[in-house]
Amino acid sequence: MIRLALPKGRNLDAALAAFGAAGIPLAVPGLSSRSLLTRNPALGVELLSLKDWDLPLYVSRGIADCGIVGSDVLEEVDGDLLVLLRLREGGCRLSLIGRSPEAVPAPGGQARLATKYPNLARRFVAAQPWGAEIVELSGSIELAPLLGLAELALDIVQTGRTLAENGLVEIATVEEIAPCFVVNRASYQRYRGRLNDWISRLEAAKVAA
Amino acid sequence: MRISTSLPTGVAALLFESARRLRATEGALTERLEEAGYGEVILPILDYVEPYESMAVASSRAEIYRFIDRDGEVLALRSDFTPMLARLLAPRLASLPLPLRLFYRGDVVRYEAQRPGGQRELYQLGGELLGVPGDEGEREILALFLDLASGIADGHLQVVLGFAGALDALLIQAGAGDPARLAAAVGRRERGAVRASSSPLLRVIERGVPERPEDLGPAAATLRRLTLLREEMAARFPAVSFHLDLAEFAGCHLDPRIASGEGERPYYDGLIFRAYAGAAAVPVGGGGRYDRLFGALGADVAAVGFSLALDRLLDACGGPA
Repeated sequence: MIRLALPKGRNLDAALAAFGAAGIPLAVPGLSSRSLLTRNPALGVELLSLKDWDLPLYVSRGIADCGIVGSDVLEEVDGDLLVLLRLREGGCRLSLIGRSPEAVPAPGGQARLATKYPNLARRFVAAQPWGAEIVELSGSIELAPLLGLAELALDIVQTGRTLAENGLVEIATVEEIAPCFVVNRASYQRYRGRLNDWISRLEAAKVAA
Repeated sequence: MRISTSLPTGVAALLFESARRLRATEGALTERLEEAGYGEVILPILDYVEPYESMAVASSRAEIYRFIDRDGEVLALRSDFTPMLARLLAPRLASLPLPLRLFYRGDVVRYEAQRPGGQRELYQLGGELLGVPGDEGEREILALFLDLASGIADGHLQVVLGFAGALDALLIQAGAGDPARLAAAVGRRERGAVRASSSPLLRVIERGVPERPEDLGPAAATLRRLTLLREEMAARFPAVSFHLDLAEFAGCHLDPRIASGEGERPYYDGLIFRAYAGAAAVPVGGGGRYDRLFGALGADVAAVGFSLALDRLLDACGGPA
């Protein structure tokens, strides 16, 4: 039985909709963000509900065979996972945020950059003509530039409404983010036929990015 | 005074039963290696960094624990047995009878910063065969590895087979100036990123091998030989699952026009294999041919070897080692 880790939060609906459209009805009665472990005997799948940030660990260690996780988390934690597919729906963007575009320092200048993605932030800053001290936070990233903890922030933006309501602007899109279907290397070999069948069906349903 | 009992991230102590179990397994395996004509070598845990800078191990540098000793020398903790063994043996080969069969055991320490669950200290046991070129050497090492590992994994061993440079021609043809980037996408099995570039590479992602061996260009003959080797090993070790998957080693190149892949043992230049046991998702061992490592040290000798991470293998096959 394949153990598939599903994300809580924003990527769950996108994952269920994509698999449903591909004729792989993952959802079973009682499945929600609060169910921990659910069986779908018809599909031969066990569903595990995990927070995005924990999901790569479970899949990397083989506790789960595969899972769906945002590319932002995947790139931040680098779990040596295979990325079989990026989903079209559920996407957002990783953006540079500030009170105004002038918050970006001049070449050679320095700023403070608040984020919950320190590795992605370091890579981004390394490619800029200015430097930044990375201020690592675990949530409410937008508050940092708003209240002066940092001049800039690097965070997920979906609609931009929260930013606009709080007097912040999206200065630049750093990366497009999508939910990704990932699998560890050992499970890929073990379940290759079924996984390839799923991928083909997801592609045929045009839910792949 | 309170003394912390915690250990640094990525290391673990083996106490009592787990230590006994590891030593018992190690004893059985070394006995088997000696029966097969392999003699033990004991290598130091500390070495200079400098000699390895010129060898084909550049992409492994990030994982080396290095420091400056009191004499100002830059030293490293052992992160891989094979390059150290090659450096020590290469100048002595002329006076040694070939073929040479060696085995080693001990810890390797690697910096695993970001990977979840990354293990920084591994207890390895490995074998090296020098002076047996071609299929014969590869057959001996692979069979020995399978004999040792399958005895512990007991029907739960998967072995992925491939070879260095298998996809080089396809990657250069389709890579549009950046074949290393395409190789990384193939290695991650990202069909979407590969579809637009190359249909033969897409087939490799889906099936592990191309539609026809000839699609690989000059590497076709090696694929045919590897297919035969797999069939032979599958017949000898029916409890082991074998997967011929060239995409698994897409980052291991021979063509200098492609930058060496990150995270691979970059010295392999022929057969490569990697093993998984039980439900564990991290490899419990692997190996391959590495003639060019000796070549870089001025020694012209055929070299093939394997290593087994004993603690990982025992962990994967019935609880912590």
